[in-house]
Amino acid sequence: MENERFFGVNWQSMDARMPPEMNSGAAAADQLPNSFLNLGWEQPMHHDAHFESALSSLVSSPSSNTPAGNDSVIIGELIGRLGSICNSGEVSPPSRYQSANNSCYSTPLNSPPKLNLSSMDHQQQGRGGVPVPGNQMAAGNFSPFAADPGFAERAARFSCFGARGYAGLGGQFGLPEAGKLSRVSSCQSLKAVLMGASDNGKEVPVLEPERPETETRSKFGGEAEFGNSQEASSVSDRVTAVGAENNARKRKAASKGKAKGAPLSSSNKNPPKPSDGENSDAKRCKPAETDGADKDAAVKPKTEEKGDVGRKQGEEGNAKPPEPPKDYIHVRARRGQATDSHSLAERVRREKISERMKLLQDLVPGCNKVTGKALMLDEIINYVQSLQRQVEFLSMKLAALNPQLDFNMEALLPKDVSLCILFNPLGQLPQQVYPLDMASTAFSYAQQPQGTPLQSIVTNSLDVQGSLNPLESSLRRPPTMQLPRLDGFADATSQLGNLWEDDLQYVVQMGLGQSQGTAFSSQSMPVE
Amino acid sequence: MDKKHDHRAMFSSERGHDGLVERSRRIKMAAEMGLARSSRGRHWSRALHRRLLRRKGATRGGSCGCKDEALTSSKAVEELGVGENEDDAVEVEARVHALQRLVPGGEELSVERLFEETADYIEALQGQVSAMRALACLLDELERDKRVMGG
Repeated sequence: MENERFFGVNWQSMDARMPPEMNSGAAAADQLPNSFLNLGWEQPMHHDAHFESALSSLVSSPSSNTPAGNDSVIIGELIGRLGSICNSGEVSPPSRYQSANNSCYSTPLNSPPKLNLSSMDHQQQGRGGVPVPGNQMAAGNFSPFAADPGFAERAARFSCFGARGYAGLGGQFGLPEAGKLSRVSSCQSLKAVLMGASDNGKEVPVLEPERPETETRSKFGGEAEFGNSQEASSVSDRVTAVGAENNARKRKAASKGKAKGAPLSSSNKNPPKPSDGENSDAKRCKPAETDGADKDAAVKPKTEEKGDVGRKQGEEGNAKPPEPPKDYIHVRARRGQATDSHSLAERVRREKISERMKLLQDLVPGCNKVTGKALMLDEIINYVQSLQRQVEFLSMKLAALNPQLDFNMEALLPKDVSLCILFNPLGQLPQQVYPLDMASTAFSYAQQPQGTPLQSIVTNSLDVQGSLNPLESSLRRPPTMQLPRLDGFADATSQLGNLWEDDLQYVVQMGLGQSQGTAFSSQSMPVE
Repeated sequence: MDKKHDHRAMFSSERGHDGLVERSRRIKMAAEMGLARSSRGRHWSRALHRRLLRRKGATRGGSCGCKDEALTSSKAVEELGVGENEDDAVEVEARVHALQRLVPGGEELSVERLFEETADYIEALQGQVSAMRALACLLDELERDKRVMGG
C-alpha cells in the first residue's frame, strides 16, 4: 500500500533530516511543502509534539488507511521518544561495542550508522512503524548525526533524490562512514521497488528537489534509529569501505545539484509517468550503481550470509506487492521476507545476534576464515576453553615456580577489596609481586646494621622473629611501596598493627608458618 | 571440568606434592577473584564472584548458575536464525549450550546477551592470562637472580 510506503519514505526522510535539520533549522522545512513528516523534523528531537502533529498531518493527508494512520502516530511517538533519548545522549551500547571490539567498532559513531543504513537497505520500504530494537543505540547514533556538521552539506549533495526519494536516499549513503553497501543496495532496491510499484511510486516522487537532502539525511538518521544490531554493519564494514568513496563521489556527480532533481521531481510528480521518473532515478543511481554493482554483488553474498537476507533486488521488485503495515518496530522488512510483526522481531533479533557474532569473531583470533554459525561457535568455544586452561596452567606454574606463593582464602573475601588484586590485569600486578622481593631484600637489610627504620624495627623485635620483621614490614609496604619511615612509623603503628594482620595473612605466607603469628604480635608491640 | 580434575590428580600423584595442587587452586581462585572484581559491571563477573564465594564459604560443589535455562532453549537457536535445516539448528544449539557452560553465569542468558558476555569474558581472560604470564616471568627472573646471587 502506497500509504505505508509513502509513510515509510517520509519516515526515513524524516529521520535523515533530523540531524541536519537541527542545524539548518526551518529552512528545510520550508522546502517541503508537502505534508511530509519532514516538517515535523524541524526540531525533531526537541519537539515531540511538533513532530507528532506534523506526522499526523502528513499521515492524514496522503493516506486514507486508518491503520497506516495509526501506525504513523505510533511512529511519530516513537520518533519523538527516540529523539528525546538521543538528546539524553545514550551512548553506552556503542561504547560497549567499541570497547569490546576495536577493529570492527573502533568508532561507535560509525558502526551504528552503518548498521542502520544497511538495515535500511535491506528493508526497502521502511514502514517506519517499527520501534528501534536497539533503542539506546539508535539514540546514541543520533548524537553523532546531529553533531555532524558536514552532514547537511553532504546530504545536500545527494540530490539524486529528484524523482524518487528512494533513489536519492540510496545516494545519500555516500557518507563515508555510512553503509556504503546499503547505499548501493538501497539505490538498486529502491529502483526496483519503484519499478515494481509504479502505482505506488506516484506518491513517492512528490518529494521536492530539496527534499533529497532531507530525505538523505532523514534516511540516514532514520537508519540510525534502526537497531544497531542490523547485520549489515559488519557487512558494510567489510565491503562498503571499498566502494563507499567511489559511490559517494559518483552519487554526488550524478546527483549534481538539485537542478537535476527539480526536473526529475517535477516529472516524477506526474503520475502518468512514473516510469520516467524511475528511469531518471535509474540513471541517477546508475553511476553509483555501476560502481557499486560489483560491490553489490560482493555485498550480497555477505548480506545473505547473515541468514535469510535474500535481498533479491530488482528481480522480485516488480512482483513484490506493497508490504502490509508493520508494527512499530523500526525494522524494514526485506524483500521476499515475511513482514508480520513476529518475523520482524525475529529478524531483528537475528541481526543483533549476528552482529554480536561478528564481534566475537574479531575477538577470537583465526575466526575470520570460518564461516557459518556452528563453526564459528566452535572456534569461540575452543578459544574460551583454551584461555581457561591457560589460566589454570599458569596458576599451576606459579605454584610450582614459587613455593612461597600462596593465598589465604579467607582474606580474599570481599571485605578487603584493595588487597585482593593480585591478578588484576589492570597493571597493579607488579605491586603485589614486590612483597616477595621485598621480603628477601628486607631480609638482607636486617642483617646489616643500618640506620634505617627497618632495622630499628628489626632490632626492636625479638631476634627469634627477626627474620620475620623485614618480611612483615616489606609486606606492609605493598600499598605504599616505600620503606616506612621511622618517625611516621610509631604513629602508624596502631593502624599498621591491624593492617599487618591482613597484609601478612592474605598477601603472602613466606612459608614461615607458625612463627608468623607470634612474630606478628610481638612486632607490633615494640614498634610502638 | 573433568580435564581440570584429572590434571590436578595427575600432578599430585606424580609430584607427591599435594601442596602444589592446593596452592595452584588457591592461586587460580585468587586470579578469578581478581578477574571478577576488576570487571564488576559484568554479568559473568558477578556470577563468577558468586561462584567463588560459594565455593569458599560453603563447599557447595557444582557449578552455580543452573538457574533458568528457559531463556536459552530452542528459542535461542531459533533466534540465531539457523534456518538451514534441522541438523544445523541442533548443532548450533549444542554449541550455544556449551558456551553457556563455559561462560560463568551464562546459563541464564539469552543468546545475544550470551554473546556479549562472552566477548567481555574473553577479553578479561586474555588480560588475566597475560598478567599471570607476566607474573610467572617475573617470579622466574627473581628466582633465577636469587639463585645466582645466593649461589
